[in-house]
Amino acid sequence: METAVNMKGITMRFPAVVANDNVDFEVKRGEVHALVGENGAGKSTLMNILYGLYVPTEGTIEIWGKPRHFSSAIDAIHAGIGMVHQHFMLIPQLTVADNIVLGEEPRSKMSYLRGQAVEIVEQLCLEYEMTLKPKEIVSKISLGMQQRVEIMKALYRKADIIILDEPTAVLTPQEIDELGRMLKKLKTMGKTIIIITHKMQEVIDFSDRVTVLRRGKIVGTVNTEETTAAEITQMMVGRNVSLGGHKEPVETTGAALEVQHVSYHDGRVKKLKDISFLIRRGEIFGIAGIDNSGQKELSEAIAGVIHPDEGCILLGEQDITKKHTEAIKHMGVGFVPEDRQKSGLALGMSISENLILGYEGTDRFRKNRILIDKNEVLKAAREKIERFDIRPPQVGAIVKTLSGGNQQKVIVAREISHSDSLIIANQPSRGVDIGAIELIHKTLVDARNSGKAVLLISLELDEVMMLSDRIGVMYDGRLMDVLDASKATREQIGLLMAGGMIHEEQ
Amino acid sequence: MKNSKDSLVPILTPVCIILTAMLLASGLILAIGVNPLTAYGQMLKGALGSLNNLINSLNKAVPICFAAFAVAVSTWAGIFNIGVEGQLVFGAFGSAIAGAYLEGLPPTLHVTLSLLAGMLFGMLFALLPTVLYVARDLNLLVVFILMNSIAKLLITFFIVGPFAVPGQMYAATKEIQKSARLPYLVTNPNKLTAGILIVIVVGLLLWFYVGKTTSGYRLRACGENAEAARYAGIRVKRYQAGALLAGGALAGLAGGIEVLGTYHRLFDGFSPGYGFDGIPIAMLASGNPFGIMVGSFLFGALRVGSTTMQSKAGVSSEIVTFIQGVLVTLIAAQYIIQFTIKKLAEHKPEKGGAKQ
Repeated sequence: METAVNMKGITMRFPAVVANDNVDFEVKRGEVHALVGENGAGKSTLMNILYGLYVPTEGTIEIWGKPRHFSSAIDAIHAGIGMVHQHFMLIPQLTVADNIVLGEEPRSKMSYLRGQAVEIVEQLCLEYEMTLKPKEIVSKISLGMQQRVEIMKALYRKADIIILDEPTAVLTPQEIDELGRMLKKLKTMGKTIIIITHKMQEVIDFSDRVTVLRRGKIVGTVNTEETTAAEITQMMVGRNVSLGGHKEPVETTGAALEVQHVSYHDGRVKKLKDISFLIRRGEIFGIAGIDNSGQKELSEAIAGVIHPDEGCILLGEQDITKKHTEAIKHMGVGFVPEDRQKSGLALGMSISENLILGYEGTDRFRKNRILIDKNEVLKAAREKIERFDIRPPQVGAIVKTLSGGNQQKVIVAREISHSDSLIIANQPSRGVDIGAIELIHKTLVDARNSGKAVLLISLELDEVMMLSDRIGVMYDGRLMDVLDASKATREQIGLLMAGGMIHEEQ
Repeated sequence: MKNSKDSLVPILTPVCIILTAMLLASGLILAIGVNPLTAYGQMLKGALGSLNNLINSLNKAVPICFAAFAVAVSTWAGIFNIGVEGQLVFGAFGSAIAGAYLEGLPPTLHVTLSLLAGMLFGMLFALLPTVLYVARDLNLLVVFILMNSIAKLLITFFIVGPFAVPGQMYAATKEIQKSARLPYLVTNPNKLTAGILIVIVVGLLLWFYVGKTTSGYRLRACGENAEAARYAGIRVKRYQAGALLAGGALAGLAGGIEVLGTYHRLFDGFSPGYGFDGIPIAMLASGNPFGIMVGSFLFGALRVGSTTMQSKAGVSSEIVTFIQGVLVTLIAAQYIIQFTIKKLAEHKPEKGGAKQ
């Protein structure tokens, strides 16, 4: 079979790190090739080199057997390479057709031919059997559709080799299946596809071959049919990994948290609509849902960062609906917020200072009414760094300089060790490598085993299903249903996530 | 190894910035046809050349230093405070009034009360912006600029209006009582006011507060990331309001000390922009109280030395304004400078490099 991409001896050195170290990477025509590895393994760097965004320190690139030298993305596009970034590069105010042709618009001497653009897009849709409404405004279509627009952008520019960076991060299960079908179709039409991912399910479902990177080096390339998810994970991490922690049978006792008819609006948008559920002690209550279904507001309302318009929230016996975050935290509620850099960390402060954020007023960390007990702060920091394997293991290291995974570990370490009754974990493993996910999962499950209540919110359905005892599904600010995790299926949850069932019930 | 290099950056950066600014000013001096070395030599002599001159520089540094403290306190809370100038002038007015119109008090008490009056007036003048910011989330930059103008005009009105002293050459308030004068530490060869002691005490207190106390930690957390602080349960607005009011008090103290220690009365336009000098200093020192003291001394010396430079080398003292302008520009571009320092450091061969 013809070789589409052949990267040989690629080395990419950045001032402090070697992101790619003598990497050989080969993709054949008409295959779906998965490029996997932990965060910081060098996947994105390698693909950015292929897409012309970086010029490698050493190494050569051949496309269709011809040596190529890319000094910008434009060179790569001319060579027939397209890339769909994880964060879509679309202009929300423009239509689908406008976005697709943007930069290479059909035009007369004076003006942009919008009608012709629409025709071109319709033509492309027919050709690749994709459904897209060319005249729709991009901000009004779903993320799955937006991704299709991105793929179409690459096809319009006649890309034969398409790179997809973490393509399923924002999709519902149904949309993921749809993407799978689309990739198959593109394959049969002779396109070559590279997907960057860290999700095993996608690798197994979508790809023909897998290349694993670890710390900038190639571990190996294998045929997907001849391997298993466990084997690939082991290649990625370099050891056996077991996600999901170890759940012990726990007798759930009483309600730790009760949410009753909570509603909340932000401006004119209703973010939470009459939400009620309860979490027992010794239980992980998972919340599934596509992004922006009200999960963030729900977690914030419980933590007291925002206050609901209606309804009440009980922690054990106490009404905390109108309480300040400080008071709620002192009642033993830990909160891992959704966006760690924005709302979880003071990036310019050290690890030890971040490890007490929100708990600086507890007796342990103060000498008297005025002074901080520096020794105790440092001692606690050393313990947590050790227990959560935070790197670099220096109490004084500025958090800004830590990797995403280690930043998340700082938050999780802080919030879990100070919570006695409830842990709210909103996307605790987002953007974190497998080693850290394993640890975070274990910590959450251990907390559950020891009789704490856990509210786990995640966009990763696998994570919710693996960890939870019960699963609530949110859609458009509503809690659609609560399912028993041992009985619920992906399809059921997926349907609820997309707002289904409502019609069946009515 | 990597750490020691990183810890040098906060010191190297301001040094580089200051050197660059002086280098650029040399260009201007050359253009006038003067040897920059001669000019700077005269400046140095004028600022530090004798005990007399040194005392002048120190006196000049005192109000600048308080202004920089005022800016720094709100910087810790994440607020850019350009309202110090107005608060400083208003504080000076407070001290001048208390110093002139309270009578029959023992000196210690009178000085203390007058200084407190200055702090109170400075704080009061910061109250409106604080309330507008905390309650209404108004843009402080605009409010502060307006408040600075108001302060200036209001004081002019007071001086020529209700508090005018008839039969004087200058428009100024009544001279303060002898009992309200700030004592001198040294009188020969020149008068050094006790203001310098207050600077050191306040500097130590601020250093202690921000580094050692729970409240200081919270304040810094607000400044580093207000959103995260709010999520952590810190009452961010309360701390920010505190920082703004404390800044007002410090600014008022700057004005008060200048009146009680140096001029003994308040005249129109008495501040040559101390409040604005404080901004680049606080930023150069990244809010570190000791760094601010050093920086203020430098600025004070620059101000004093430039007068000598003007008379002896024939270079206008306005060159100092130019240097300060370049400083502000360079501080705004600090990221680029830090990047350059790091780059330069990387080019040096390292043993056992910092590979991750």
